[in-house]
Amino acid sequence: MHQPQLCQPWEHRLSRRRLLGTLAGGALATQGEALGPLFAPAMAEELRAEEKQAILIWLDGGLSQLESWDPKPKSPFGGPFRSIATSAPGIEVCELLSQTAKQMHHLALLRSVCTQDNSHSAGVARINRGDPKDRGVVYPFLGSAVAKLLGPTSSGLPPYIWIKPQSGGFKAADAGFLGARYGALALGDGKPPENLLLNPQITPEENELRNELRQRFNTRYAARRRREIADANSYVFDLAQTLMRREDLFDESKITDRDRERYGTHELGRHILQGRRMLEAGVRFVKVNSYHWDSHGDNFNACDSLVRQFDQPFAALIEDLADRGMLDNVLVIVLSEFGRTPKINSHVGRDHWPEAWSVAMAGTGLKRGVAVGKTNADGTFVDGPPHDIGHLFHTWLRALGVPPENMSYDNHGQPLPVANEACSAVGELLA
Amino acid sequence: MRELFHVLLMERRGDNTAWDNYLQAAFEANKTWDQLVREILFPDEKDPQRAGAGFFYTKRLEAYGQNPIDHPGLTRDVGRLFLGIDLQCAQCHDHLFIGDYKQREFQGLYSVYLNVTAKGDQPVPAVIEKPLIKKHEFVSVFDSTKQETGPRIPFGVELPIPEAPAAGTPPASALALIARDLPRVDNDRFSRNIANRLWFLMIGRGLVHPLDLHHSDNPPSHPELLDLLAREFATHQFDIRWMLRELALSQTYQRSSQGDAIPEPPPPESYLWGIEKRLSAEQLLRSTLRATGDLERLEPPPGTAAAGEWKELRTRFLTAYANEPREPEGEYLATVKGALFALNDGKLLDLMKRRPGNLLDRVATLTAPTEIADEFYLTIFTRFPTDEERGEVQAIFEKDPARREQSLATLAWAMLASIEFGINH
Repeated sequence: MHQPQLCQPWEHRLSRRRLLGTLAGGALATQGEALGPLFAPAMAEELRAEEKQAILIWLDGGLSQLESWDPKPKSPFGGPFRSIATSAPGIEVCELLSQTAKQMHHLALLRSVCTQDNSHSAGVARINRGDPKDRGVVYPFLGSAVAKLLGPTSSGLPPYIWIKPQSGGFKAADAGFLGARYGALALGDGKPPENLLLNPQITPEENELRNELRQRFNTRYAARRRREIADANSYVFDLAQTLMRREDLFDESKITDRDRERYGTHELGRHILQGRRMLEAGVRFVKVNSYHWDSHGDNFNACDSLVRQFDQPFAALIEDLADRGMLDNVLVIVLSEFGRTPKINSHVGRDHWPEAWSVAMAGTGLKRGVAVGKTNADGTFVDGPPHDIGHLFHTWLRALGVPPENMSYDNHGQPLPVANEACSAVGELLA
Repeated sequence: MRELFHVLLMERRGDNTAWDNYLQAAFEANKTWDQLVREILFPDEKDPQRAGAGFFYTKRLEAYGQNPIDHPGLTRDVGRLFLGIDLQCAQCHDHLFIGDYKQREFQGLYSVYLNVTAKGDQPVPAVIEKPLIKKHEFVSVFDSTKQETGPRIPFGVELPIPEAPAAGTPPASALALIARDLPRVDNDRFSRNIANRLWFLMIGRGLVHPLDLHHSDNPPSHPELLDLLAREFATHQFDIRWMLRELALSQTYQRSSQGDAIPEPPPPESYLWGIEKRLSAEQLLRSTLRATGDLERLEPPPGTAAAGEWKELRTRFLTAYANEPREPEGEYLATVKGALFALNDGKLLDLMKRRPGNLLDRVATLTAPTEIADEFYLTIFTRFPTDEERGEVQAIFEKDPARREQSLATLAWAMLASIEFGINH
């Protein structure tokens, strides 16, 4: 297959019409140069209309594939847990995923993942960015990429929300060269960001009155001036107020007892449930982070606790999304920076293993109830074609309706492919 | 000036007292731009003239997050900020669309910066230079032909590898070569870059736009004007104060941003209408406090460290409105974060409460709505209200006379959160 080294300049020269189209699509910046326009704006508009969404569950430190999606019981490295049958005939998973096993007919597994880095520092960045070719720029993480490529949904809510333990805030780092505005709005422990709630000094009536006045001043100001500043200003105030009106999204009393019980009251359970609520409210991309998966010591007791903590809310999420018909539009991804060594070390732990691991996914654009790719009998290496994170980015973008081969970012005139052009989608995963 | 040039040169990477003091002293003495750049390019922590100037290098030579020490980034910034050329894409190959930006332009400068490291934990920022003893080799990613270069100012001639002044002594500094040859009257790119940047600071848009892309396919909107500005600035020994005064006296600077859009507004590069400019986070803070009548009460005298309520407010304003580190602050940037701050930040809303002598206190003593309108408009928008606007204020008080105090705060907030206040227009 022909793989060009770089996009050709003539493919990307912006015409005036295309530039105007792009500017109409995103009202944030006042001059085209800072917006970092996409090269296919008309397409972005169409994509936006489809309302595809995504949730990424990031298990930081590295989920063991052997204690989850690719168990190898009775092998030299298999460990103490059994494998169990699932609702997808022929697919078995580790017994620690007993709830998820019942939802397996909705899931798609890739068991032939083989990536480059076995350190956290390099791996986290590379996996989150889809391992693009090095062009001297910092690429966006998947959430920022989707926020850029698809924008907010018609809900008017910020396109990228990140639910994480500890502190929240506006996190720009994920956005890379796309710039701060494509960063994540992070909800520390699921709590609302600073200044989100209407200040108690202000009554809702006063809030309405003051904003009506503000808008009146702005309309008058803009009447005989260029539109760009006023448009950008009202866009962000509208977004802010849409968020403020959805205070209910942060109101824990709105959670039913049934949901609380099904998702669990532990941190990851609460956060995945919060993630579901964000998807229901119409957020484009939700990331949920869980830490402490780096089980160099006492791996099996750690997994007995951690994998179960993941299993319960994840199964509930898949069940809910399927019941509500949302899996047709929502892409679900479970990801880490690498898998863990089959070899069990002297601390009864498993170390970092990028050579052969698994990624689970579900939802829009993907086949259901499949396991693609395999590892050898001991689980040490991939048996068959290996797949890097670049292949997965192609697969996910395609599942979200973005044709990665035809889309590139414009970094101040530098065309940058949205996914590593040496890779392509994993066809067996796509519906 | 110190704050302005700090943001321009450091792009929100962080603060340093020695650097602040260096800039403060430099602008108090009206140090010329070429002198300033010479000192920044070849800092010396032991020379009282140059101590502190090293922060430009040392901060860029710190590792941040999970990124390695960014020597290419430092090279790029020297090109961007002092010559107006962004050579980032020319690191690995000749620039694909900008014919002028060849890989050798980047690599010649990079050969020097590759050898520079920051001395750790110094009270005054300091760098160490490894002697440059041979030419630097590089290849293009497109063809693997080996090339080599010695130190070179982009678009200049290649300089010889610095030799030791005497036998047994270390070779001369390559940074000194850069400092000697880059900020010179006869280096057109040096004077055109700064003329363009000062024009941008005053007028709101570069004659060459974007500011970092001076090249033959991106000519200035007004070539003769940029030539003139660059030449005159150089003739006046790069006297920044003189230049800003000249620009402020120009008709272009004084033009209004309003007009009759028939059929549509003139393009910004025509400068027919004034260009609306962003206020920095610091400017917004001061303007807000000036309007509410709290500036004198809160701002510490020059040279004293920020503390108490001032520090608290300043941090909040910077968090809400400043760009992220390493992101140049140019045009107006609207963010949800800034909007939420304006809507709900408690400390900000406190400024709209009555306190002896402040704005809300003054208007509270007025009874006629027209007087209130005049006081608000003069203080916040620095103009008189129109009849329509006076009527609007009157309607607010007539609608709910019982909530007079709240109405005053609401009005103050809406004016302070409006574009007319938040934009330099």
